[in-house]
Amino acid sequence: MNWLIGVMLASCAVSGWLVVISRDPKRQVFALCGNSLVLALLFFVLQAPDVAFSEIAVDTVVVPLLFLITLAAIAINKLRR
Amino acid sequence: MTTRWRLIVLLPAFLALGAAAATIILGLPAFGHPLTRYGTAVNTLAPALRNVSNAVTSVMYDFRGIDTLGEESMLICAVTAAVMLLRGRRGEGETESAGRLPGRAWADHTDSMVLMCRLFATTVLLFGVYVVLHGMVTPGGGFQGGVIAASSFTLLYLGGGYAVWRRMLHSQALVALEGAGALVYVLCAAVPLAFGYAALQNVLPLGTWKDLYSGGLMVIINIGVGIAVIGSFGALLLEFMEETRAPKGKPEEGET
Amino acid sequence: MSVLAWCVVAWLLGVGIYGIVTSRHFVHLIGCLSVCQSATYVLLLGIGFRWGAGPPIFYDHPPGTPAVDPVVQALVLTDIVVSAAMSALLLAIALQVHKRRGTLDPQHLRPLRPFE
Repeated sequence: MNWLIGVMLASCAVSGWLVVISRDPKRQVFALCGNSLVLALLFFVLQAPDVAFSEIAVDTVVVPLLFLITLAAIAINKLRR
Repeated sequence: MTTRWRLIVLLPAFLALGAAAATIILGLPAFGHPLTRYGTAVNTLAPALRNVSNAVTSVMYDFRGIDTLGEESMLICAVTAAVMLLRGRRGEGETESAGRLPGRAWADHTDSMVLMCRLFATTVLLFGVYVVLHGMVTPGGGFQGGVIAASSFTLLYLGGGYAVWRRMLHSQALVALEGAGALVYVLCAAVPLAFGYAALQNVLPLGTWKDLYSGGLMVIINIGVGIAVIGSFGALLLEFMEETRAPKGKPEEGET
Repeated sequence: MSVLAWCVVAWLLGVGIYGIVTSRHFVHLIGCLSVCQSATYVLLLGIGFRWGAGPPIFYDHPPGTPAVDPVVQALVLTDIVVSAAMSALLLAIALQVHKRRGTLDPQHLRPLRPFE
């Protein structure tokens, strides 16, 4: 279990960094999905199934969807101007 | 301010933050050896005192119930503010079709796709309700299950397209759900006060351990939170989706 | 190992702040903010973790077996949902900014200009 927590923590740090360096918002949405999936796995390893459940439902599904809808609305707005 | 100047301003802030973080990291207890007596006490007492097998839920709705009431009002405030901002200049009128960018592929909604999406939307909604109801027993509860149930609405959009989605979801109904769920929580806090108990005191019979009804008042609060979360996330999705609709009276170009 | 978790927390917070400061797009900025928020989740769950303990759900194993701290888990649980709603609020504000100003680049926005 010891090494598993270490690996999950390290990949969590890497995926957080990837979210920041993906400067194109469309790509960043998918980086965010990956980041929250890694976080959810970390929470499972840290013996917090409730929190992992919440993370998967909220940050892997609903929040990226809101980001995508916002980007679509911005693109449509730009077309209208 | 250019990016370069921003970075120059950021540097001293990072130096100060780094020093503070190093001090805190060296002062924190070693990972995996917590000193939390409160958590240990809750783990020992929650199953015996409240007949609940999920200690996290018992902390959320009972031992720290007022705290969660505050969190839920924060959720409601944020959702209300977002809905007001989005509706602000747009109004509540509807058009029949969503806006689309020229050059994007246009896929027709076949009957099989509509059917599959509706079947899966029902399944996901039921799963969300299941997760809400079993919050006392297994991992889950009002917050997680509510979000799962609300995400089933997007499958309706995927299957039927914009017009069907608008016909099936009513913003008033979702907002009413949101308010009703919050009202249930507030009533659970206020009604014991009226009979001379403390706010949120668990006055109902506690039920049996490992049963769907276990934890007394927590069951009602959990369902209330679930309803509020379904309503608020459904309203958020609906209002954000409204932003992408086509302008009124303007025909769609390139649509076949 | 004992400081790795806290270093990851500091790294996530620092990287998130760096992203916010250098961001050229408000939607990107909101994504960086959610990285900062994830630092708090890792910190809280790391504080509650205990070697050799199970999850704080006493369904399969009887009450009394060692389990991790449920209090911090309850805090993180509500935190995640509320922060999602806050992200939605910020996205709504970004949409309004784009409608009124036509840009989402913080460097092209000038404060306190009357709406034309």
